[in-house]
Formats: sequence, C-alpha cells, structure tokens
Amino acid sequence: MASLSYASAIKIAAREMRSSRGKFFFVILSVAIGVAALTGVRGFSSSFRGALLTRARSIMAGDLAARMFQQITPEQQKGLDQIAAEGVEITPVTELLSMASSPKTLDPLLVSLKAVDPNKYPFYGKVDLEPADALSAQLREDTVVVADDLLVRLHLKVSDQLTVGSKVFRITSVVTNEPDRLSGNFQAGPRVLISRKGLQDSGLLAPGSHAGQRYLFKVPPPRNGAPISESAVADLKLRLEKLLPEAQVTDYRETNPALTQGLDRATSLLSLMSLVALVLGAIGVAMAMRAHLQQRLDTIAIMKSLGARSGQIIKIYVLQTLLLGVAGGLLGVALGAAVQLAFPILLAKFINVPTEIHLQWRTTLTGLGAGVLTTLLFTLPPLLDIRGVRPILIFRRAVEDNDDPFVTAIVRKITKNYAQIGAGVLILIGLAAIATTLSDSATVGKVFSIGLVIVLAVLLAASAAVLAALRFFLSRTRLQLPSSLRHGLANLYRPGNPSAALLAAVGMGVMQIMTVYLVQQAVVSELHIASAPDLPNVFLIDITTEEIDGVRSLLTAQPGVTIAPELLPVVTSRIIAINGVPASEVKLTNFPRRMLQSINLTWSATPPPGTKLSAGKWWSSESTAPQVAIAKRQADRLGVKVGSNITFAAQDHQIVATVAALTEADGQHAFSRAEFVLPQPVLAGLPVVWYGGVHADPTKVELLQRALYKAYPTVTVINVAAALETVRTVVIQITYVIQFLSAFSIFAGVVILASSIAGTRYRRIREVVVMKTLGATRSRIATVFSIEFAVLGLVAGLVGVGFANLIARVLLHRLDIVYHFQWVWTFAALAGTAGLTVVTGWAASHRILGQKPLEVLREE
Amino acid sequence: MSEATTLGQSIPSMIVVEGLRKSIRNGPRTVDILKGIDFTVPQGEFVAIMGASGSGKSTLLGLLAGLDTPSAGNVHLNGVAISYLAEDKLAQVRGKTIGFVFQSYQLIPTLTALENVLLPHELNSDSKDAAAGMARSRDLLTSVGLGDRLDHYPVQLSGGEQQRVALARAFVLRPPIVLADEPTGNLDSTNGAHVLELLLHLNRTEGTTLVLVTHDPVLATYANRRIVLRDGLVVADEVNANPAGLAETATVAS
Repeated sequence: MASLSYASAIKIAAREMRSSRGKFFFVILSVAIGVAALTGVRGFSSSFRGALLTRARSIMAGDLAARMFQQITPEQQKGLDQIAAEGVEITPVTELLSMASSPKTLDPLLVSLKAVDPNKYPFYGKVDLEPADALSAQLREDTVVVADDLLVRLHLKVSDQLTVGSKVFRITSVVTNEPDRLSGNFQAGPRVLISRKGLQDSGLLAPGSHAGQRYLFKVPPPRNGAPISESAVADLKLRLEKLLPEAQVTDYRETNPALTQGLDRATSLLSLMSLVALVLGAIGVAMAMRAHLQQRLDTIAIMKSLGARSGQIIKIYVLQTLLLGVAGGLLGVALGAAVQLAFPILLAKFINVPTEIHLQWRTTLTGLGAGVLTTLLFTLPPLLDIRGVRPILIFRRAVEDNDDPFVTAIVRKITKNYAQIGAGVLILIGLAAIATTLSDSATVGKVFSIGLVIVLAVLLAASAAVLAALRFFLSRTRLQLPSSLRHGLANLYRPGNPSAALLAAVGMGVMQIMTVYLVQQAVVSELHIASAPDLPNVFLIDITTEEIDGVRSLLTAQPGVTIAPELLPVVTSRIIAINGVPASEVKLTNFPRRMLQSINLTWSATPPPGTKLSAGKWWSSESTAPQVAIAKRQADRLGVKVGSNITFAAQDHQIVATVAALTEADGQHAFSRAEFVLPQPVLAGLPVVWYGGVHADPTKVELLQRALYKAYPTVTVINVAAALETVRTVVIQITYVIQFLSAFSIFAGVVILASSIAGTRYRRIREVVVMKTLGATRSRIATVFSIEFAVLGLVAGLVGVGFANLIARVLLHRLDIVYHFQWVWTFAALAGTAGLTVVTGWAASHRILGQKPLEVLREE
Repeated sequence: MSEATTLGQSIPSMIVVEGLRKSIRNGPRTVDILKGIDFTVPQGEFVAIMGASGSGKSTLLGLLAGLDTPSAGNVHLNGVAISYLAEDKLAQVRGKTIGFVFQSYQLIPTLTALENVLLPHELNSDSKDAAAGMARSRDLLTSVGLGDRLDHYPVQLSGGEQQRVALARAFVLRPPIVLADEPTGNLDSTNGAHVLELLLHLNRTEGTTLVLVTHDPVLATYANRRIVLRDGLVVADEVNANPAGLAETATVAS
C-alpha cells in the first residue's frame, strides 16, 4: 500500500478537528493555559525581579562597595583604572568626623561629613533633598547639604554659611534621606554632605586623618536591556578582592540580608510555579487527548479494516497532536503576553515599581516548545496504543477488558512497548531541557524530570492501590450498600474508564497546587517577619552608662515609639592573639590588620534579636566562662571556628575567650552591629558606651530627635526610617507578587483540572440514557455521578495533599524555612478537591442529563 | 384501531397512539420521519412493527417509550398521556410501565448481571422491598439460564447471555408493556432463537403487552399483529390469526 502522504494525513487530521470543535477546544485551552501561565509568570517575574533588584541595589547605592583601610597604592589605582576602562563606573565616598561651626556663633559641633561626587553618586536610588532637587544641582564646590538637626543645633537655616575645616560653605539644601544610609558608617554627629573638591579645599584630609574611604562600583548593564547578571557582580567582586586585599568588598546582596533572602526565596518559588504550570497544562492535554482517542477507536478500527497500517494512523494522530500543540502553544504565548501586560496594571495599586515589559524570545520559544513537547509526551503512549487496536472493535462494541491486576498490566505493557518507552524517554529529556532553561539550572532540570516520573509512578501506584482497596471493600459489602452508593462506587471501575489515570492526574494537579500554596504561605509569612513594622528605624550612638537609664525612660515615654528600645552595650577592645598566634602574625582574609585594634565587644545572655546561630551553641545564662559568639562573616575573615581561642585586651585586662558559636544577623537590629558577643560577667567592670535602636512611627521620628537633642545633646540620632521603609515596601511588594502569581497558577491549575474531569463526560452519555430508559430520574443519576466524583476527588485529594506536604517540606527545608503541617488547609484542600470534582462533573454532565434518550440511541 | 375493538370491549387498551408526528431539523431542511400514526394496542397483545431501514420504526418505538418528544400527536400508556411529560415524570412512567430491550443490550458495564437486573427495582422509588426485588432478580436470571453467573460483569458474558440479562431486566418490575428493538439483531441464529423463545415465554407467563420492532419477516410471524411502516406512515396493519408457535413450549436452557 502506498504510504499515506503528509498532505492527506494533515487533511484527515484537520477535518477530524473541525468535526469535534468543542472537544479540541478543551485540549487547545489546556495547552494554552499551561503555556500562558508559564510564559506569563516567568516573563512577569523576571521583569519584576529586575526592577526589585535595582531597588535592592539602592540600599548600597551601587552594585559593590569596597571599604578601604589604607591609602590606595599606585598599582591598585592602575587596576581600578583598568576596571573602569572596561565600562565599570567607580566613585569614591569619604566619610569622616569633623567639626563644623557657624560663622555667626562659632560654636563648634561634631559633624559626620560625607564627601561624594554629586555627578556620579548615587549609582542607584536617590538623595532626597528638601526642597526637592537633584543633588548635583545643589552640591557644588562651595556648597554643602546638611541634615535638619544641624540646623536645629546651630540655629541656622538654608542659605546660611557653615565653616568646615578651613573653608566657608553655603548651605543650599536639607538632606532627608541618603539611599545608602544603612550601609554607611554610623557615626556621631549630624550629616553634612560635601563635594569631593570641597573636602579637598577644606584641608581636612591631612595624612593620618581618620577618614573612612570606600569605592562604589556599578557594573555596566547588558546592552539588550536585560538585568545585570548576578555572575557579573560576583566576578567583579572576586577581582576586587584580589586587587584590594586589605579592603572589605561587599555586594549589594549583603547589605540587607532580609531583602535579598526574600528575593531569593521569591525567585525559587516563581520558578517552581513556572514548572508547575507546565505540568498542569500537560495533565490537561493528556486527559483530553485520552478521552479523544478513546472515542476515535471506532474510526481507527474502520481504517484498519480498510487496510491502514498502524504507522499511517499514528501519523495522522501525531500530526493532529502537533497541530493542537502548536495551536495551543501559540494561543498560550499570546495569552502569556497579555498576562504580562495585565499584571502590572492589576497590581498597580500595590506596586509602584515600574515593570518594563519586553517579550523575551527565549521565554516565548520555551513556552511554545513546552506546549508542543508536553502535548506529545502525554499523548504518545495512548497514540502508540493504536497499534494494538483490533478491527474487531467495530463488530464487538464491548471494550476488551482484562482482569489482570494493575501491576501485571503495567509490566505487560512495559515489556510489550519498547517503542513507547523509547519515545517517553526522548520526550522526557526534552522536558528536562525545558525545565533546565526555565530554572537556569541543570540540576533542577534533572531533579524535576526524574522527580516528575517518580511522582507520577508513585501516584499511579497509590491511585491503583486505593482503587483496589475500594474494590475489595465493594466486593465484600456490595449488596448491603445503598444502591446509589454501590452504583457510584462501581462506576469507578467502568471498563475503559481510566480511573487510575484520572486519579493520578487530579492527584498530581492537587499536589502541585497545594505545594505552591504551602510553599507560598511559608515564604510569605517568613517575609512578613522580615518586613515586620516594628524593626528599629532610629539608631542612637554614644550613650554613656550614666545616661542610659534616662535615655531608656525617655524613649519609652516618647509617643510614637512602638517597641521597647534595644540597647547595646559596647566595650572597646582589641584582639592581641588568635589561637595563641600574636595579632601581628595572624593570617587574615580581607580583614585589615589595623582593625584588630578596635574591636567592639558586647554582652548578651541569649542570642540577641535578629541574630541566628549558624554553628555552635549559646552559653547557659549563668555561665561566667570566657566565651564569645562571633558573626560568621568576621569569623571567616579572622580564620576562626567554633572552639578557637581569641585573646581580647580591654584597658589592661586580657580575656582569652573560646569561640562558642557563629552568628548571622539580619542587619535590621541594633545588635546586628555587634559582631563579638560575650557573657556579661566576663566584661563586668570595663568601660561601656551604649548604642540603641528603637522603632518610632516614621512621622514622629523628628519629634523623638528633638526630644533627645534637648535632653542628651551628645547622643547622635541616626534616622534610617526612610531606608527601612524602602526595604519594607520592597519586601511587601514581593509578598504581593508571590501571592498574586500563586493565586494565578492555582486558578490556572483548577481550570485545567476541571476541564480534564469534564473531558470524561463523553463516556457517560450512553449510561445516562440507559438509566433513563430504565426509569431513573435526573436526580438519581446525578446522585450516582456525584458519589463517583466525590470519591474520585477525595482519593485524588488525599494522595495529592499527602505528596504536597511531603514536597513542601523538602522544598522549605532547602529554602531554610520551617515547615508546619496545616490541618485547616489540608482539610480544606481535601474538601475542595471533592467539591470541585463533583461540581465540574455535574456541570459537564448537566447537558447530558437533559438530553432526550433517543438522540443518543440513534447514534448507535 | 378496528381490529383491537373486534377482539372484545372487555380488554382495555394498553397503548393508544394518536396522530403521532416527528420531524427533525437537519440544517435548513426539515425531515419528516413520522407523518401521522394512529393505532391502539390492547392489553396482552404481541405486535410486530415492521419496515425497512429508515421507515421510522425505531423512532416510533422511541416515542412509545417516551424517549423523545413527538412534533405532534400523543402516546397514552395504560391511560396516561406521556408525550409531553417532564423528563423526570417521564422517567417514573418508564420505570413503572415499560420494560425495554435494546438491539445492543445496553447493560451498565460497571454493574454485575444481578445488579443490572436489580437496577430498575432500585430506581423505582415505590419498590422499597429490597429482599423481594433481589429474589425476583435471582429468579428471573435463573429462568433465563444465568443462575450461575449472577456476579459476572457484562464484559464477561457473551452477546446472547448479555441479551438474556437485558430480558430479565426488562421484566423485573412486571411492567405492563415491554418494548423490544430488534432484540435478536446482534445475535447469531441459535442465540437469537433462544432469546426470542425466552422473550415469548416471559411475555406469556407475565401477561405483558409486547411491541417488537424488526425488519425480519420470520420474527414477525410469531406476533398476533403486524404493523408495517413505510416512509413514516402505516401501510399495513393486519391481525395474524395464527401466529407461529414455537416448536416446543419455551424451555429454559440448562
């Protein structure tokens, strides 16, 4: 027989699609929703993430900062010039304490001077001035921009003059917020911003002055408009660490761990959602195509008895599948674009981050590829089954059934169908490739596709086991059960009704939806903690022991202060030996030796607020043994581990402390600045200066500042309320987006699941008619189907929710988040699944129930 | 109608068909399948409705069973006009009044033979007596020779066996009327004869009114009366004074 030409194969395939539009609409819709969720979620989240990262960078005002402790050598300068020549922007920032005075009064005031190049600084974010203007417009060689409290203390106003060093400057503006306030030095005295030229002219930069110098770096953004890659930042960091061994190089992610952690978790969650969307779409396709092929069995049998070979028939249906996949994929990409465009509008109320939309080719192609590949993957096994269709089917209506137990059937299937398995493996590899592209990680791709196969197998097995158990129960109690219940349960075993497959599909869908939900919940509640509105946003510096009680009661009494102040005692000391090696010979990594001379110690009986242990154990509260807990970052630089000894010297006192624990601070508490914590008795009797952190209502911070100036003029108040608000809003925005996107994926999943359940209705039509002929009322038929669907839903829900909890547990563990079993949601999901299956089953069968029996019988 | 009355006024009419019409729309065209049918079937009569394919006989049977709504006219079953009843009301009438035997058996695949026979009993809200229904179902299945296959599923039975289950199901509620649509059409001659034998036997012992649709003239010779349809009209309605008896009294396969 001449081989079937592609043209006529396409013709047959297309004609068949036209003849049953409704059904194919479901298939195309399933693919489209899956692909749309995939491209939409991915596209939107990547542009949103880009925008958020830009804001995260504003907290440092650059991608990287290098804090210098020594004068830069000519060689290092050459290295920096080389880096600058490659397109990296560099600007120095100098901070120092100095005296300033008004030419009118000549009362000197300690100020915290910050010299910047107003044309470059800040690389990200912006300096807020009052009245609003650009920094470069106000800060010139002969002007300064000052904090409000300087004006208060010196009784000055804007346009007055201020003497800094040996030069007189004009005050042009009030600075209300600097983007990098959180990452700069916390120094006593009100802020004075000065230009670099101005600082030079002031003569303050004499050799030996205690100026803190840092460089800010900005990595050039890629030309195609994509966000700056993390690896570009990491590469530059490595280069800088090599070039400037004595400097502390930090990237923007380190300035606010809470923020970047939130971003990281959001990213993991978002790629999880993309992958889930992909699989959910595939499930929809699989269920719809299965139902379709089941119905086409007659046509196939007829074609076979006319002499068509399996290969030719498969050709027709593979082409049909491809057509459906491409159609669904295209529609999905279009929908995905719409979703991307719609999200920022829908979320406009919550997010003021400008989200640029650029349809990324890669995302689009991945979406299309995913649509076609998953359609093929899930239809190939039923397609290859065509080879087994016997033409006798036309003559014998009954579906051939075999009573083999499920496992034997599977084994038989496997041993019989090498081609099927080969094809399955090939397509799985394709899926793994897509998963890899989606998650930018080969491991994730591999784990995902292997995990998918395992989960699918386990779900199938679990579903079959549950069905078998139910069948056993049914066979025992059969005639004692109320008839509708018996009938409903018996329907699960309808020949040719792939209950196990439907169960596995629904179970899988429920599992994924629930996993997304559980992970999302945990991540969001974690983010809420990180964005808790009562973190300290006002810091106090240089409180003496005599003042501390007064400051505490003043803070507590102040309106707008919402939490008990965190007060941090600081004992100044130096490190003179580590593990017995003198300080001068200790091997340090990116830790300037000079800094060993000024080490701030503090005490605490418990891990301070916002601090987590990353290694070791905290001491018991009554411990008096010399022990120390060190910030992990510093421990790495000093080369110490738990169990190492550090010799501190404070005044004429030496303490040999054993490292008991390594800590990680969230960067948002007063204690985040305490990097060496000891038991209180060990530090008893040493001179102490106190630092404080308190949360005040941002609108009342000014009031607090004034009250403190008045009572304790020497205490410096640093207001980071604005910077913290930035962090908080960004984190809150992340939670909104996560919640919104996961709601979207869940919705898409529910739609797809509903359509796969609805797809089984074609099989019920004849049964409904026979029942009606026998005198069944519609409500009776509905009851029987409801029982069938409810059991299906409950079993699928049980399996799905069980696995979801398992997977969420593993995922959350990897994200470093505590997993809690949620009774309420678990039962809600169970009931919801059962409800959903019943409702969609009903909705889909509604028309059948109303149909006149003869219409259907005629089609015999 | 006249034949029926000649048999005697004492026998009530079980089926009355008046001016029955059925048209279906096929795109822009309207196809008239039944063009005005009238006849009456007295209780206990065995009527064969005959005609070629497309003559409208299956449609007529469907309308008799209330499986569809006519375009005009009405059907009275046991004194009740059924054609325009609501679907659920109709279902009740069907359940109580009619037993239906299909050409292609139409057993519920998920239920066993016994459960299939029991089903009409369970569907009928009046028949609460489960034990009696169960006994009746078993008896019927035994009487059609399937007493040892009660727990088999339809797929585990041959075509002839499935049709015998369908017969038992049709008779389980002792309906006054049994409608059969080519009941032997899917069976070979041996099995067909056997099913027919059982059908006639049950009809006789239960005193049921039987309407059988067929295009097989041989089958029709067993009936008391033949109604022949052509192009949606009754072209012949004749009494068969001497219906072919079955060779022997219907015996049950052992």
